Amino acid sequence: MAKSMALNSAAGLAGMLKAGHKHMEGVDGATLRNIEAAKGLATIVRSSLGPNGMNKLVINHLEKIIVTSDCATIVKELEIQHPAAKMLELAAEMQEQECGDATNLTVSFAGELLKLCEDLLRMGLHTSEIVMGYKKAYEFLEKTLPTLVVENMEDTRNEAELIRICSPVLAAKQYGYEHILAPLVAKACMQTMRKGGRASVTTDSVRIAKIIGGNINQSECIAGMVIMRGTEGSIQHAKGKVAVFACGVEASATEAKGTVLMKNADDLMSYNKSEEKKMDEIIKSIADAGTKILISGGTVSEMAMHFIERYGMMCIKITSKWDLRRICSATNASALVRLGPPTPDEMGYCESCDVREFGVRKLCVFAQSPDAGQGCTVSTIILRASTSSVLNDLERAVDDGVNCISTLCQNGSLLPGGGATEIELSQRIKAYGDSCPGLEQYAIRSFAKALEFVPRTLAENSGQEPTDILAALQAAHANGKSNVGVDIDGGGNGTKEIGPECRDLFAAKDSAFRLSVDATLTVLRVDQIIMSKPAGGGKQ
Amino acid sequence: MGPSMGRPGIILLREGTDTSQGKPQLISNINACQAVAEAVKTTLGPRGMDKLVFDGRKVTISNDGATIMALLEIAHPAAKTLVDISMSQDAEVGDGTTSVVLLAAEMLKQVKEFVEAGVHPQVLIRYMRQSAKLAVETVKKLAVPFEGEKGKEMLLKCAGTALNSKLISSHQDLFAPMVVEAVSGLKSDLSDLNLIAVKKVPGGEVRSSFLVKGVAFKKTFSYAGHEQMTKKFINPKILLLNVELELKSEKENAEVRITDPDQYQSIVDAEWNVIYEKLDKCVDCGANIVLSKLPIGDLATQYFADKGLFCAGRVDVGDMVRVGKATGAVIQTSTNGINAEVIGNCGMFEEKQIGDERFNLFTECVSKETATIVLRGGSEQFIEESHRSMHDAIMVVKRSLKSQAIVAGGGAVEMEVAKVLREESLKIEGKGQLVMQSFARALEIVPRQLADNAGYDATDILNALRKKHFHEQEGGKWFGVNIAEGGICDTYESGVWEPSINKINSLAAAGEAACVILSIDETVRNPKSEQPGAQPQAQQGRQGGGGMSGMMGNAMDIANNGARRGKLGHGVNYMKGRGGG
Repeated sequence: MAKSMALNSAAGLAGMLKAGHKHMEGVDGATLRNIEAAKGLATIVRSSLGPNGMNKLVINHLEKIIVTSDCATIVKELEIQHPAAKMLELAAEMQEQECGDATNLTVSFAGELLKLCEDLLRMGLHTSEIVMGYKKAYEFLEKTLPTLVVENMEDTRNEAELIRICSPVLAAKQYGYEHILAPLVAKACMQTMRKGGRASVTTDSVRIAKIIGGNINQSECIAGMVIMRGTEGSIQHAKGKVAVFACGVEASATEAKGTVLMKNADDLMSYNKSEEKKMDEIIKSIADAGTKILISGGTVSEMAMHFIERYGMMCIKITSKWDLRRICSATNASALVRLGPPTPDEMGYCESCDVREFGVRKLCVFAQSPDAGQGCTVSTIILRASTSSVLNDLERAVDDGVNCISTLCQNGSLLPGGGATEIELSQRIKAYGDSCPGLEQYAIRSFAKALEFVPRTLAENSGQEPTDILAALQAAHANGKSNVGVDIDGGGNGTKEIGPECRDLFAAKDSAFRLSVDATLTVLRVDQIIMSKPAGGGKQ
Repeated sequence: MGPSMGRPGIILLREGTDTSQGKPQLISNINACQAVAEAVKTTLGPRGMDKLVFDGRKVTISNDGATIMALLEIAHPAAKTLVDISMSQDAEVGDGTTSVVLLAAEMLKQVKEFVEAGVHPQVLIRYMRQSAKLAVETVKKLAVPFEGEKGKEMLLKCAGTALNSKLISSHQDLFAPMVVEAVSGLKSDLSDLNLIAVKKVPGGEVRSSFLVKGVAFKKTFSYAGHEQMTKKFINPKILLLNVELELKSEKENAEVRITDPDQYQSIVDAEWNVIYEKLDKCVDCGANIVLSKLPIGDLATQYFADKGLFCAGRVDVGDMVRVGKATGAVIQTSTNGINAEVIGNCGMFEEKQIGDERFNLFTECVSKETATIVLRGGSEQFIEESHRSMHDAIMVVKRSLKSQAIVAGGGAVEMEVAKVLREESLKIEGKGQLVMQSFARALEIVPRQLADNAGYDATDILNALRKKHFHEQEGGKWFGVNIAEGGICDTYESGVWEPSINKINSLAAAGEAACVILSIDETVRNPKSEQPGAQPQAQQGRQGGGGMSGMMGNAMDIANNGARRGKLGHGVNYMKGRGGG
């Protein structure tokens, strides 16, 4: 068809569009191709699912090396081009923003759904029937999921409980290190929670400082901020009031260009002295206000440094505006935009400010005692590892852990992990499908089958026999043991009763299912793809 | 890509993207790492050979693992991990940079057969981590703590061991005490290594290198009048400035406008007054020596000479800080408000001829926190390498002081850890047993390579060592390679000591790196941005197979063939051995 169009440039779709466009339609042309692409993406990421998932090494266009099993990162760095696969990427991105976890479930599940509907299409089902079936199945899933909740966590201020909940999340990214990371994450989150009211954690308030060298056992959690540089002056330890200046500590200069006009010799003599005196006065007034630690957002002139040293203040330069804001929040100070003595309520307080050496790097650690006043609103996890790729992956894992606790504070409902939830849902949906008249029954069944991929992949990734385990699981669930899941360490017949040590967040799972079903339906509904010629002639 | 002709071609990823996955990919990564280790392994130990790296501009001759790794410009993504651990070992401990690379590569080599046999990498990783943890614990258990009395002697031996493997090994009797002396002067918290300076003066003989307990720096640029100055002071007072002592306009944007021509002279006088006032203040405070970060002009030089002072301008910041630390002086940015507190003093100052350079020496200082090592030697490359060796030795002594524990080197500790791991492995059921045993075998690379590099029969020595460690449990635990005479000896007795933290860090880092490489099951290389046509050949053959054809291109392909060039940057020439081919 395309060929004949090309001859007769005035007729049909090809005639309407600019030369060089691509155009595909129909089940064979568009739907199946989209499915193929989405499947391709899902195949890449599914081997990273679960604690035993493997890492991917991605070299991005900036030649940066990323080694990770975090799905959101993988799909982001892959630079996906295919529009249908892009849908899945967007779903993963949404999930990352909303819950920060279960991104792999989102992509792999959507891929699995699409894969199964390929068979349905070949069987002769119409796309709209599949869409209808999937929709019904999802509605049923949405109703069923809350009934599977096994526990509801009310007390989110309990550190031991937090460790328990974020352990599986961290294990999924850094298996074997979760016993080190989970207490760090839980402690960091606990420290930032405001006293009184419902506990909540803002992900931004848990900072991560990555220092190459050493090993993960040397990682630690600090109540307060860490600035990745040493001090300006010679004073390395201080405790007391903090003055924060958003501007530089230097003689103020006028923006407009001007010249100092001198009339006689006395002017000349006194000119430099007056400037020096002025600086002395300013620094002295800051010191007199009780400042022990002076933080500058800009340059600190040598003259100013001279007086800061003389008045025995510790001086730290923070160039990042974000860090400056956080340090204000950590010390409870407000940043001054003009050089001058701060008022008592503009000043913050820091329990101890130290320069510490990690490997060859020097860091400024602002530690806060957790009981003082409002507590500290910022806490920092210092991560150590020997290679930058490990370090970056640890950071992503910690991010996920923090996100998990943050979500937990909003919704404490928990589901059994290890694929137990999915297999239970699968069985219930299958039963529901059988009760439905009409062709959508096939689609509902496929939906149920798609859910099985979670335990299957978990088993596959941990090097076990997926078919046996799946059979064992189905038997157990059919007998009413709704909490049996995959035993990734491969004990017994590969299945076990999932205990309280392996719980998934209801909110994360709910949102993952919703997003992946949405993405799937969007991909399915496409029956025609029209791609215009890419602009710009640089690339081939 | 034509629509629905034969197999559908779907471009999932950006054009030019390279992906490779599965077992072949993992094996290729392991091969790449081995090739890197191959390049540096001959530098290990006292009898290790040096590498000459020419980067197009500069020639570097080195035996230091980290230096070589950095200069090699390794391009292979997985092999870059080894560069990372080498660097982190350099930062964390300063020495043992070659052995960490060797260990990581050997661990991978040992488990390669399991990968080929189809063992799931996760199983390997799990037991590798367990083994690494056990190894680190074993080293901690084996470590011998410092005892107060023998502390210094122990440090000497640690420094000696570190220097032993370097170019200046034959002069360790000279350098080891120097390093220990310099480091032990530092404060207990050991925060600043900048307080130990190493100055290089080409020419002369290595053995005329010396340690200054204080500060030494090369004479700075000076104006006329400098030669009239006193060049030696006993108990001088020292003033450190960050002020330009020169006749010049005070401020860029100042302008003088006079109405009366008579005033002209007064303005000129005023300018002179400004500088004289500053100079007077420097003299009045009682200082004998004035140092400044900024230039000291000819006027000031002459003025100070007349008043019997010594001055030096444009002194390097590091030297200024060290003088400050040594003498207790505080750097002043203004000549106003100089008081007794900011003036430092030391026992002795002199300007001395060293080789064809003149040096300013501050000795017998109040605080012993600073030291300067002046290195002498024939060629520039020799001095550079000596400098790196000194740095390693300084770091080792510093870390030994911090960790307060040592282990015996010469492969002894590795053999002992390997023995413990072997015993422990027998308690494990399943595949873990084999993995832990390969880990133990991987550790033997250190004594093996030491013996190889020294020209002994590694197999014989290893057998002897294994027997010794196994049969004489307690008595044989410190037996390692006897580099001097061949065979084996108790390296603890012969004083081949290393800080335990060195071994702990290298075992942990090597284990971590090996796990990272094992955990990769897919490599995706996106085309470089900003470089149109960078990889034009990669586009061909990218049609079928759903865009995920699993083929490898460029660096990956070559890595598979095992040729060294795949891992190095483009255009790298490589010659090795006596033949050079």
